[in-house]
Amino acid sequence: MRVYLLKRLLNIVPTVLMITFVVFVMMRSVPGDPVVALLGDAYNEEDAVRVRQAYGLDKPVLLQYVIWLGKLVQGDWGASILSGRPVLHDVLVRLPVTLELIVLSMAVALAIAIPAAIIGAVRQNTWPDYAATTVAMIGVSIPEFFAGILLLLVFSFGLGGLLPSSGWIYLPGTCPSIVCGVSFRGNAMHVLMPAVALGIGRAAILTRLLRASMLEVIRTEYVTTARAKGVGEPSIVLKHALKNALIPTVTVMGLQVGFLIGGAIVVETLFAMPGLGTFGIDAIIARDYQQVQGFALITAFAFVVINLFVDLTYTFLDPRIRYGA
Amino acid sequence: MAEGDGIGPMARQPIRGGSLSEAELPVVAWPAARERSQSPMAQGLRRLRRNKTALVGAAIVALLVVVAIFADVLAPHSPTTADQTRTFQRPSWEYPLGTDQLGRDMLSRIIHGSRISLAVGVSSVLLALFVGVPLGLMAGYYGGRIDATLMRLMDLILAFPIYLLAIILMVIFTPTAGILGTMKVTGAIAIVRIPIYARLVRGSVLSIKEKEYIEACRALGVRDPSTLLRHVLPNCLAPIIVTTTLGIATSIIVEATLSFLGLGTQPPTPSWGWDLKANVAFIQANSWLSLFPGLAIFVTVLGFNLFGDGLRDALDPRLK
Repeated sequence: MRVYLLKRLLNIVPTVLMITFVVFVMMRSVPGDPVVALLGDAYNEEDAVRVRQAYGLDKPVLLQYVIWLGKLVQGDWGASILSGRPVLHDVLVRLPVTLELIVLSMAVALAIAIPAAIIGAVRQNTWPDYAATTVAMIGVSIPEFFAGILLLLVFSFGLGGLLPSSGWIYLPGTCPSIVCGVSFRGNAMHVLMPAVALGIGRAAILTRLLRASMLEVIRTEYVTTARAKGVGEPSIVLKHALKNALIPTVTVMGLQVGFLIGGAIVVETLFAMPGLGTFGIDAIIARDYQQVQGFALITAFAFVVINLFVDLTYTFLDPRIRYGA
Repeated sequence: MAEGDGIGPMARQPIRGGSLSEAELPVVAWPAARERSQSPMAQGLRRLRRNKTALVGAAIVALLVVVAIFADVLAPHSPTTADQTRTFQRPSWEYPLGTDQLGRDMLSRIIHGSRISLAVGVSSVLLALFVGVPLGLMAGYYGGRIDATLMRLMDLILAFPIYLLAIILMVIFTPTAGILGTMKVTGAIAIVRIPIYARLVRGSVLSIKEKEYIEACRALGVRDPSTLLRHVLPNCLAPIIVTTTLGIATSIIVEATLSFLGLGTQPPTPSWGWDLKANVAFIQANSWLSLFPGLAIFVTVLGFNLFGDGLRDALDPRLK
């Protein structure tokens, strides 16, 4: 297990390097010059040359990447070309917002999917099952931004401003400056709609998958044996069927991380949240190379680490699975 | 179930030989014989016709195709002509879905927007198929270095979160209006989807190439391209068709998402995602503005998902 873990941890490095390198090269091929955008009306050739030298943009792309990597291993993620702020600082400030959004959206997804899948599987081909599968099909077909807009229409504009339509209140201890709002309640009010908007689609996918897995597991011999031994139905469903049916679901949850990161970009844009999603999309559109690299690095790292975590979860769900044996 | 019912009596019925006794076999034996003579694809299509939700999905998709083709005839107004005297009109007989902040008829924009969604959804998947399927066929059939090289390349694309790659590609392509803009979005989504088909086909080919009929082709000296196209590809079709239909739904969502982020087909070309984005600022007082384009996206995606689900159940019940 230790050897396996070590191998997987070492594998993170080339994958993250590969993603950041491809993003680096791709961003350099984007038409337009960030220096022109930075200098704006004050643009002149002399200043442009000076700024290019300052950010190393006058060097060949490969050399630029090596320099970026060299600085990275020293903990220097570079400075944003447009804002001038250190990228690492901005990433650390915005990371908790996106992490909270993604974790809560996954919690929303599981809170909907697990009961819906259990009802669907236990009462297959009855009205509760049809209702669960129909709602799941609707959930799969709603894009995050439309789900968000529907929530806005109901809870922000329809019910007299029950929930705020935009902005952010930080959790105590995560405020990056002295001027931001901080409170648990305010944070919960701000994160609720984005988390539900992002979680609905995942809930639908997980419901469909978990229901199908549960149906398969419920028909296995060990479940029949448990019933024959007189084990209670709740225990059979929760301890035997659900735990075993969760394995493919956990795999898909890991694969959904890519979609969650993309969904976070959309939801954060819709609800004007100061998270990594808006940080990334703003950087890409403004061609802020350093900021894009920071976004790509943290995204790739999160993607790979979460998938490793998913693989390790298998050993908990099914103790027969042993890595590196 | 139907297959089993048909085969059962046939299997139990003793066939004594002679044309007369065969002709006198019970009627119930004939459907089984017909069924067994049908290709798996024909059997699948027959199962599809019995699937009500798939038929609902097919009806939605068919309706959308008709709307997209006859958009010029069906749209009551021009989708791009602005009229500052008629901005933010509520839904009425003249403007059934109201007008936007530039006074453009929302119904006409939604009707014309179906063209972008369908065109991008279908053509991006077809383009991805066009590239991904041959790559998957070659990787699976030849194996070795070709397989390793192609699959590492596919893994590289798959390692990216899908939206991140599509967004960067669109920034590189520079979003524009009109057909060129639509082609750029199509290209970006297709690139992201190529590995899905390449991996899917490779997986199928790995098992198919070990079958005896492929060995027979090799022994007979059939050329590889012919073997791949005439014997391997037709046997991978079921999962390809299912993934394609469900993939169109995903592509439509990705297109709408890119448009929502301002990176899709640019205005004045009508696009559902763009209309949603442009009208979000005004939804507090004019909720219909974002509601209708959103509903259009939802119904379209739902149609393809229902149809795709039905196809999956019909063509490849193992994937159910």
